[in-house]
Amino acid sequence: MIKQSILSIADLSISVPDMGGFSSHYQDYLTEENLNPDIIIQHGEFVREKYPAGTDEDVLCNLECVRLLSAKLLSYMGCVIHASAVSLDGRAYLFSGPCGIGKSTHAKQWLSEFGSSAVIINDDKPPIRRVDERWFAYGSPWCGKDSIHANMKAALAGICFLKQGTENSIRRLNSNEALHFLLWQTLHRFRYPEYLNMMMELMDKLISEIPVFELVNYPGTESVRLSYETMTAAAEEMGL
Amino acid sequence: MKVRDDYIMKPVADTWAVVPVGDAAKKFNGMLTLNESGALLWNTLKNGAGREELVKALRAEYAVSEETASADTDEFLAKLKEAGALEE
Repeated sequence: MIKQSILSIADLSISVPDMGGFSSHYQDYLTEENLNPDIIIQHGEFVREKYPAGTDEDVLCNLECVRLLSAKLLSYMGCVIHASAVSLDGRAYLFSGPCGIGKSTHAKQWLSEFGSSAVIINDDKPPIRRVDERWFAYGSPWCGKDSIHANMKAALAGICFLKQGTENSIRRLNSNEALHFLLWQTLHRFRYPEYLNMMMELMDKLISEIPVFELVNYPGTESVRLSYETMTAAAEEMGL
Repeated sequence: MKVRDDYIMKPVADTWAVVPVGDAAKKFNGMLTLNESGALLWNTLKNGAGREELVKALRAEYAVSEETASADTDEFLAKLKEAGALEE
């Protein structure tokens, strides 16, 4: 019998199996015993067939916890996005895109540009949620290979998909583009197609209420200013 | 010609997504999105319309020629077929 830990994540109490190398990151989120947690993730729910034979047990545990969390968050108007989330002035800015596109690099450049007022709340898989008609991004212990996370929340200001280029440019995505980009970095990424129906209800609200962008990015100060200024202006205009 | 029962259309912001539900969702590998006229055609088709009625529905709603409406309807049906949303 694997012991369960109760964590406070995304303004919910979440029971998770206390196993794998990542559980050392749980301590920042531990909360008092709760006999009735909002979400329960159990070792027995892991779907091992999704992974190649010989996958490291810690890696599998980490990925399955995130996958199950994202699926179960749908019942609470939330999900997990494959992105690096930076908090600045109470707002969360998410940078998403496929592996190796430079999400973490861009997030780190925000820290260089804005100093200690900017914090990476989750470098790889932040949970997001709509609570009382407002969207938030949250820290969580499942956060990618560099283990960068902070137990805090910030109002979601926008989501920006990165693309590499030799010059910088940014554009707002239309609903159709935003939906395709977002599904790829949520549902497909975490492999739970059986929740498509609920996911669409979440996407309807998310895309109607949160601006989504594509940044063609040549790494450096200029691309940070461009993403910051464009996303902040759109967030202010939408009252986020 | 009939839309499969396990495919549904969901509004997402100002676009429409056609997605499989239940067992069909397990094979999901890409999503079909429709614009406003596509959504109209979907609803008409769901109500049991055939190709001619789809063309008529388009012409009733939009000021388009018979040819344009026919071409748009065929394109719509081809998209649905490709996505696996039509019954064999």
